[in-house]
Amino acid sequence: MRAIMIQIVTVVGALLAGLTLAIVINKARREMSEAIDRRRRALLEPAVFEYLGAASSKPLSGYLPKRLSRRDRRLVEEILLAAARIVKGDTRDRITAALEGHGSVQGAIRSLRSRRRFKRADSAEDLGLMRSREAVEPLVALMNDPEPEVRIRAARALGIIRGTTSIRPLVRALADPSRWSAIRVAEILINVGAEAVDELLAAYETLPRHARISALDVLGRIRSLRAIGLMKRCLEDPDPDLRARAAHGLGLIGDSGTAPDLIKALADREWPVRAMAAKALGRIGNPAAIPSLREAMKDRQWWVRANSGEALRGLGQAGREALIDIPFARHMAVSQLEEGRIIEQSVSDLTSADPERRAAAIRFIDRVTASARVDERTRQAAEATQESVRRALGDVLKTPGPGDRGRP
Amino acid sequence: MPILIADSDAVVRRFVGALLANNGYRVHEAADGDAALRAAAELRPRLVLLDVVLPGKDGFEVINVLKSDPVTRDLPLMVLSVRDREEDVVKALGLGAEDYMIKPFSTRELLARIRKILNRGR
Repeated sequence: MRAIMIQIVTVVGALLAGLTLAIVINKARREMSEAIDRRRRALLEPAVFEYLGAASSKPLSGYLPKRLSRRDRRLVEEILLAAARIVKGDTRDRITAALEGHGSVQGAIRSLRSRRRFKRADSAEDLGLMRSREAVEPLVALMNDPEPEVRIRAARALGIIRGTTSIRPLVRALADPSRWSAIRVAEILINVGAEAVDELLAAYETLPRHARISALDVLGRIRSLRAIGLMKRCLEDPDPDLRARAAHGLGLIGDSGTAPDLIKALADREWPVRAMAAKALGRIGNPAAIPSLREAMKDRQWWVRANSGEALRGLGQAGREALIDIPFARHMAVSQLEEGRIIEQSVSDLTSADPERRAAAIRFIDRVTASARVDERTRQAAEATQESVRRALGDVLKTPGPGDRGRP
Repeated sequence: MPILIADSDAVVRRFVGALLANNGYRVHEAADGDAALRAAAELRPRLVLLDVVLPGKDGFEVINVLKSDPVTRDLPLMVLSVRDREEDVVKALGLGAEDYMIKPFSTRELLARIRKILNRGR
């Protein structure tokens, strides 16, 4: 029995000792490998950086030692990819040329066929950083990968590489909601920016409805003037979602020449279109919209009134004065004047050293008080302290007007 | 007098350092805000090129301290950062930075801007 126990203890001890030894050897091997990496990196990095900072056409190989081990080749690739994250312009192009010449692009393209999905995804991401046109076709093919993460990384890489051949499959991906997250593809296209506009415009008519909505959103967020024609046409589309998105997009683009179209959209039969048109008119800041926005403060829908009020507030002195005179939706109007600190500012201006500002403040307060027909009392308050004036004017404006009856 | 590069990213420090060294400038590196302040006080560099994201004292604090110290007040400062928000740019320039560049950056543009700042100081 004792002999068996001794044998068991010996075996367990030997196993533990073997395991410890394996861990120690492995750690030592890793540390040694890292130390060699550091030493080789210190040797290779200055040569790579010298190549990147140079203006000559000499390839990277001309700056590096004649014979490179596999380790050296990996380190050179890592150095180039790290630099690719921090530079742009000519230096970025030199990095792409170096990676192509170094064989890194071809290596990453080969890895796209790996059975391991993480390797495919990482290689797609590296190809995006490498920005080589050679990678476009393999990345487009990868957009059909069964793994969503791989597809998204391929899409991102194509977005970084850009160029017509890269962007076209991304635009097509907007149309395939079963395989793609439209939001993520839209974000990629927005990051591509102006270069994506022509492809989006060309493909728009061929896209299904949900992709058209995304396309309008992307075009609006890219803020391309070239998209205005399409957006204006879409304001007449039978689909209210497309009309609303087009109105929103025109607001994001911000061309004041589109004000007449948006003013027309303020009378749309669907309230989301009217609300978006009001918001867009506030964004583009064309004072010609003031009478229509003032009229839109009568709208039955809260969102239309809220957006119209906000738009008027942003339309300078004339817009703010329109808010004072409004005999309807007064709560909305007063909340806009309060949010914009317009009342406070006017009260503060009553004590301004600048006579013009003082006069403008008095005129403003006169109009506020006149609109509420309690001018004398408020004027008295104006002569008292500022806080009391603010409160008095707030109360005056909150008094329901005749047009407010029956409205929320 | 060297150009002081303060950046938490070693690749940025080494890359910009090599770029400047290859263009005839002497370079000193600092990996955090406190090291940058010490180096600025000791070396009196021709230019401090710093990121706003730094361990310890961040770039804004470093600018603030350097600009409020009579010894370092006149050192030209340039920010090189991945932070591209308008408020960060305005804040850094408001605190006294001469220039603000966003990463990723063009090396030619960086060199041109550095030359301009250094020529202005002559």
